[in-house]
Amino acid sequence: MATEAKTVAGRPARAGRPVPVGHARETSDRRLGYMLVAPVLVLLLAITAYPLIYNIWNSFHFDNLSYGNLPHSWVGFKNFGNVFGSSLWRAALERTLIFTVVTIVFDVVVALALALMLHRKFRGRGFLRAAVLVPWAVPTVVSALLWKTMFDPRAGFVDYFLGAFNGSWGNISWLGASVWRSWIAIFVADSWKNVPFVAIILLAGLQVIPNDVYEAAKMDGASWWQAFRRITLPMLKPAISVALIFRTLQALLVFDVIYIMTGGGPGNSTETLSFLSYQTFIVNTDFGTGGAQSIMLVILALAVSAVYVRTFRTENT
Amino acid sequence: MGSINAFSRSTRWRVGAIGLTVGLVALSAACSSGSGSTSAVSGSSKQTITFAESGLGTEGAQTQKAINAFEAANPNIKVNVQVLSSDSTTYLSQLEHDFISGSTTPDVFESDVTYPAKFAQAGWVLSLAQFNPNMSQFFPHEVAAGTYNGTDYAVPWFDNPEGLFYRTDLIKTPPTSPAQVVSDAEAALKTDKQLKEGIAFEADKYEGAITAFLTVDSAFGGSLDPENVNTPGNVAALNWLHAAIYTEHIAPTAVTGWQEGQVEQEFVSGYAAFAINYPFVESLATAAPVKGHVGYIPFPAGPGGTPGSALGGEMLAINAKTAHAQAAWKLIEYLTSAPVEIARAIATGDPPSLPSAYTSQLYSAAPYFAAVKTLNSYSAARPVNPNYLAVSADLQTLFSSVYANSASNAAQQAFASNAATIKSAANATPAG
Repeated sequence: MATEAKTVAGRPARAGRPVPVGHARETSDRRLGYMLVAPVLVLLLAITAYPLIYNIWNSFHFDNLSYGNLPHSWVGFKNFGNVFGSSLWRAALERTLIFTVVTIVFDVVVALALALMLHRKFRGRGFLRAAVLVPWAVPTVVSALLWKTMFDPRAGFVDYFLGAFNGSWGNISWLGASVWRSWIAIFVADSWKNVPFVAIILLAGLQVIPNDVYEAAKMDGASWWQAFRRITLPMLKPAISVALIFRTLQALLVFDVIYIMTGGGPGNSTETLSFLSYQTFIVNTDFGTGGAQSIMLVILALAVSAVYVRTFRTENT
Repeated sequence: MGSINAFSRSTRWRVGAIGLTVGLVALSAACSSGSGSTSAVSGSSKQTITFAESGLGTEGAQTQKAINAFEAANPNIKVNVQVLSSDSTTYLSQLEHDFISGSTTPDVFESDVTYPAKFAQAGWVLSLAQFNPNMSQFFPHEVAAGTYNGTDYAVPWFDNPEGLFYRTDLIKTPPTSPAQVVSDAEAALKTDKQLKEGIAFEADKYEGAITAFLTVDSAFGGSLDPENVNTPGNVAALNWLHAAIYTEHIAPTAVTGWQEGQVEQEFVSGYAAFAINYPFVESLATAAPVKGHVGYIPFPAGPGGTPGSALGGEMLAINAKTAHAQAAWKLIEYLTSAPVEIARAIATGDPPSLPSAYTSQLYSAAPYFAAVKTLNSYSAARPVNPNYLAVSADLQTLFSSVYANSASNAAQQAFASNAATIKSAANATPAG
């Protein structure tokens, strides 16, 4: 490789320091690249980093917009203390965690079964794979409204369907009249939308497992269950971890399906952490306490993600 | 790649610098507030003001018609209509965003009856004292909704009383007590097999659950004072609604998910003998079996109570930062004048806020406004409190928890256990 000094753009190369061919041009191109992406970078920082930092700042200040004339004074950890001391917040935390555990266990189990089915060769498999994705493509607000209508005792198909089996089941009020029935309706609506998403991730994981591993196991006399336990599940670990991280974060932050279907009711029995943040930010316009609530939710989400990453870390990483 | 390399070094720097500048300019434009000069403009100068409202359809069209007439009468003032969301929560957020950013617009805006106290406390609305408004010409309960610490901040635009609808073909004489509502409903259910419920009302977890409760509350001697909601009258009123579902079975458990739209559907479809709702239902009862058989009354009083109705409606207020206060006030005066209110009532069904607008002209066009005026004299306002939204959230939770609990003492327990929380929400201060 030539190492002799050259001039670039009329500028002499530094004496005693060999410059690779085209080095200055590469540097210049890199600078140009940085400058061209700078506007996007600045905008991204403005709409992601700035709100996050400002929210942290708010969480340590009094910032209630209903008192627009008062100064945003420093209050230290008072907002966090208020949040921890709130029985509403603790109850919402409990509900959010239970919802998260139940929904992700259900979603992953059902999605795994669906993925195994879609992995098999059968007529119309391509169509079915595409069709399964439809619920996931529907915006949550729309799917929640759809399910709210479906669970309506007058207009919905759920009671109509149940009524065909037993007349007394044909007039059940799912939303507003019972805590348990409200949660069931929320789970159904949430899972209907999210199971396909998990199934597609797991299906992608199944497709990269080499067939010859199964053939070798078969030759060794492994049963279907043994192959599933000893080959499929371990080799699906990366896909399962991705699905779990996504779904857990979604479930921890669940808001829209609850806002649309129950409004947090009956009473406040379906209020979750995000719903409470909405109440604090939007209804009470208390950005100090709301900031503290959302920061704690972010910390919770990060902690759960860290646990997942650690648990599913493979030997190679 | 080739095309990039074809640029000279200085050209590349220039392109990069322009890109960076464009980004920074876009960012600064995005971050700048809408605030502008607040120097006052005389009412007689040529100027443009912005009026924010939520009206769509016939309401929006009627507002535009009135504004066109206002502009013709005041050629120096042009009015830009800013149509915000028809969803009340989103509408409130949109207004708040403008106020928080210190925007001088909208100069004048439509406000729900529950907003003025909050806006006044935050310093977002202009005191009307400088205009010496004649507030005695309006229904007093709606004037009270726009008054904070003794100062008027909003003018009643239209006054929507929630009351009791009933089927005159099934119930020949209007009930005179809550107990008679139950017995009439039961009798109607036996007579007309097309009926699905005796009474329909809003019991979903939303603001309408509060107005439905207020409609029956005074009939039992109750009043919704956040300082103490745990009163025998309030308990009796909520007990009555609860018993309608779980004891008398004249209302289905489905009401726990109903808002005013579903209640209206049940009544105009001929499925409900009674319904608690707003006057707009009258104009929608245009088909059999309901057409021509609609009665609209205050909820009948029980012992120790007075006939019940809940105040709904909209007001008009002025942005504290506006530079066009005089022009904004002129528009408010025009929109709340009797002829304009009458024209709006006939076109849209929005009941006038001026008792003097209930004229033979109005009654000949829409006879049911006679009943609306009666209800307006009984309307109970929701608490006028800057923290009303927080109080409302607590009340909604309380009602929703009662409607989901079939125990006969659910109302009593809920009021007892939530009274302190509601009082605390109403009196919350920055220091607290």
